[in-house]
Amino acid sequence: MSDAIAVEGLTKSYGSTRGVIDLTFSVGPGEVFGYLGPNGAGKTTTIRTLLDFIRPTRGTATVLGRDSRRDSVEIHRRTGYLPGEGSLYERLTGGEYLRYLAELRGGVDWRVAAGLAERLDCDLSVKIRGLSHGNRQKVALIQAFMHRPELLVLDEPTQGLDPLVQQEFHAMVEEVRREGRTVFLSSHVMPEVERLCDRIAIIREGRLVAVEEVGDLRERQVRMLEIRFAEPPRPDLFDGSPGVSDVAVNGDTIRIRVAGSIDGVVKAAARFEVVDLMSHEPSLEDIFLTYYGKEGDRGA
Amino acid sequence: MAHEATIPRGAMLRTVFSKTLRDQRKALAWWAAGFAGAILLYSSFWPSVRENAEQFNEYLRKLPDFLKNLLGQIDYTTPEGYLQSELFVFLAPTLLIVYGIGAGARAVAGEEEAGSLDLLLSVPIRRRRVLVDKFAAMLGAIFLLTTVMWISVVAFGPLFDLRVGLGGFTAMSLNTFLLGMVFGSLALAVGTATGRRSVAIGVASGLAVATFIVNTLGPSVDWLDPFRLLSPFYYYADGNPILNGLDPVHALVLAGVSVAAFVYALWAFERRELTA
Repeated sequence: MSDAIAVEGLTKSYGSTRGVIDLTFSVGPGEVFGYLGPNGAGKTTTIRTLLDFIRPTRGTATVLGRDSRRDSVEIHRRTGYLPGEGSLYERLTGGEYLRYLAELRGGVDWRVAAGLAERLDCDLSVKIRGLSHGNRQKVALIQAFMHRPELLVLDEPTQGLDPLVQQEFHAMVEEVRREGRTVFLSSHVMPEVERLCDRIAIIREGRLVAVEEVGDLRERQVRMLEIRFAEPPRPDLFDGSPGVSDVAVNGDTIRIRVAGSIDGVVKAAARFEVVDLMSHEPSLEDIFLTYYGKEGDRGA
Repeated sequence: MAHEATIPRGAMLRTVFSKTLRDQRKALAWWAAGFAGAILLYSSFWPSVRENAEQFNEYLRKLPDFLKNLLGQIDYTTPEGYLQSELFVFLAPTLLIVYGIGAGARAVAGEEEAGSLDLLLSVPIRRRRVLVDKFAAMLGAIFLLTTVMWISVVAFGPLFDLRVGLGGFTAMSLNTFLLGMVFGSLALAVGTATGRRSVAIGVASGLAVATFIVNTLGPSVDWLDPFRLLSPFYYYADGNPILNGLDPVHALVLAGVSVAAFVYALWAFERRELTA
């Protein structure tokens, strides 16, 4: 079976600094693929090229085995898209909006749309003008999922969703995965893609930094740990533990950087009375550091 | 199904064409009501104008040349002359041009600026099909307003003994429709090519004002006169269609400009990079 998405040497220049440079990666069928990078890295540019809203300066994108330029209509038919920005029609209700897009798609199974609305607790009878950002995002999610597409292309899908709805969204992605359909989702937060995705591509300043299995990424992941003890700890406490660096002791608290598994650190700390243990979510910069060692100036 | 009721049937939501008109239904109702109201008002003035027609004509003869050009060969003693001066010199073309420019600028540039175009184009429909629908909706709306004008004159006029020859009046109505389409299509073309509504409105209304002035001043300013042929207003009113009937060549020129602008828009839209 061919790749759900195959991007080769994709370059989009805008003259200035925005855009993407020489991207090459592929997403297998049935994969949940994360596209991770800070805002402005080129995630939306990539996605909008896949859907033929903008055209590559160089290189090609193949979606569901079809050329993104020539076969955009077929690609659109088989794809569900959630834009990262943009708006819905303010003067329609959520239901009218879904009806419109469904009619343009040639009809959908309304039980699916209604089911999604129920799951996301989305009131479709309200005019979009009167909806909060989170509720608009729900309507946008429903339209992406309602025709049960083979491929979902989601640009920052959980933006503005409250945690409960995020959970439900995660379940929806899980179901899509179980049914063997493909998801391509962009995000600027690591924990989300880590939780949902099989593989992750990391993009920064328009260049692909890495494409990794989530498991591998986790092994190499860097965390900042902060451990508070009942009594001031010895600074050499973690000397024997693998992956530890940047140890800083401040009274009864020790801060360390741990690369990979934190098992050694936890076991070493457990010999003393631990009052508190905090693991800070790695920022994207931390993740880039994982790849570069130093400031990310080594090209992809 | 508990949610069945919340997903409405929406007959007007089946196509981009009908949805575009649906968006305009309230606005169109107001435009139509205002247009019909104005015509009723002007019709009601007719009996007193006719009584004093000689004075009006005398007054006209004293006007400077460019104002005479503006008003055309008007004879206030005839219903046609009255209708020409009150309806077709300014009111009807202005209304249809303003409406047309608004609709044309909204078609693509409006959606693009509002940020709704991405999702609209994420459905399996060709861009050109979306544009054909948008153009057809604009045409439908301008045609509707023209029809409201036509019916209002035919229905309200006789109440005040304002009876015009239907042939010439219909010809002038058709020209007004085409004039609205010319500037609406120009706005649509500029908006589609640039993605910017303000540019579309600015260019199209700027052209409308400029070509209006050229056509009006042309007869009194020698060097300007040849340029009248570039003005849509020349093809709109020259030859006094309300008395002499439709000039098919003039109507075709207007239709041709509108179609050409639309074809350009189709070409430009396919090649456009859409702004997010």
